[in-house]
Amino acid sequence: MAGFSDLNIPQGPDKKSMQGLLETAAHLGYSAVALNHVIDFKEKKQEIIKPVSPSELFPSLPVVQGTSKRIKVLTRLTLVISDPSHCNLLRSTSPNIRLYDIIAVFPKTEKLFHIACTTLDVDLVCINVTEKLPFYFRRPPVNVAIDRGIYFELLYTPAIKDSTMRRYTISNAISLMQICKGKNIVVSSAAERPLELRGPYDVANLGLLFGLSEGEAKAAVSTNCRAAMLHGAFSASQNIWELRKNRKVLLCFTSTETGLWALWMQPKWMLCFREVPVSCE
Amino acid sequence: VPDAALRCRYVLCEVVSEDPRCRQCIEDRAVGLAVRDAIGRVHGDFGLACCSISFTVKYLNAYTGTVLLRCRKDSYRLLCSALPFVRQLESRNQRYPCFLNTLHVGGTIRTCQKFLIEYNRRQLLMLLQSCTNEEERRCVQKSLLSCSLTEEQCLSGNEDDDDDGTDTD
Repeated sequence: MAGFSDLNIPQGPDKKSMQGLLETAAHLGYSAVALNHVIDFKEKKQEIIKPVSPSELFPSLPVVQGTSKRIKVLTRLTLVISDPSHCNLLRSTSPNIRLYDIIAVFPKTEKLFHIACTTLDVDLVCINVTEKLPFYFRRPPVNVAIDRGIYFELLYTPAIKDSTMRRYTISNAISLMQICKGKNIVVSSAAERPLELRGPYDVANLGLLFGLSEGEAKAAVSTNCRAAMLHGAFSASQNIWELRKNRKVLLCFTSTETGLWALWMQPKWMLCFREVPVSCE
Repeated sequence: VPDAALRCRYVLCEVVSEDPRCRQCIEDRAVGLAVRDAIGRVHGDFGLACCSISFTVKYLNAYTGTVLLRCRKDSYRLLCSALPFVRQLESRNQRYPCFLNTLHVGGTIRTCQKFLIEYNRRQLLMLLQSCTNEEERRCVQKSLLSCSLTEEQCLSGNEDDDDDGTDTD
């Protein structure tokens, strides 16, 4: 069974408050969290800096409730794009981008949403939950994104804070569900304080409010998050994906109700299809 | 064996907060009001009316922050989906921000009790690892050894009775 993950913990300046967030997340049962560094190109020209090293920032990581392992901290970069010229940064082979574990993009217009789903090399596409969607989702780009292994992210903290945001979140989520049929959804927090986090069981229940089925809601907090993390770990070169950290060659992987399954090429060209173990990351 | 329509669900949660004084607010009236308010905000009058049937705070422990809620089987989804929206507990004009973490949903009090004992045992084990002196270690080990479900410890009260006085006719 895949562990629970929260892929959006905004990176704050205060180390102590980040430590508090990590401890609460570990107490609630999250096995992995991703520290999110957001870059908005609308503001003054921003450079993509190297990601912080979690081992430097947090000398001691808390143990996850219910297991004996420490919580895993990944790094994530979110690019807010409102103009097609912003995409050039992703296309250019900037060395700093590849250092992040997960890359997400937040498209602000319909054209950029289409570009993000079909061509950009990202792992997550963020869906706006704080205002009325400026465009309708269409089936073709969403289906292409699902085939490419890209996941759509919904945040839940705005819905908890304010009732108007709650309505926008539910409307936008349901309109996405009608197009993607509940596949490839990831629900995460964007919590800035420990009290804004919610346990994985509760987040799965929130998924029910967004129109997901029970199995889909649970996957949105567990297997889909891990699939997005794996998507970020591999670099696509031609048709074969190479696992960065060791020599095994991964041909493809898919996320099903029973978990993550991967097709590996073993030495001497043997093919085998087996479940991705939790420790493989 | 109760009638299928009267079957209940027991939701076990823990109150998580940053301020230790929030424990003073963990009492049945305050928790019940906070949960009902969250249901009303999220599901409106319909949800509040559905969940109110047989809704009660069955057990709570202010020291560990554990709360056991009961509701009808037909409306437990409305209740569970509203629990993440509880943001504070208010009692005697004091309010403290907090949230509820759902631990377990069971059909009987006994299953929730078994889960709670296992959960507390795991918490004690983690506490044991972070003990700093021998005295604390001995206390925690003693508590660990006494963690078991005995007949006397079963929560008193029949699970089937309807305390809200509704008659079936």
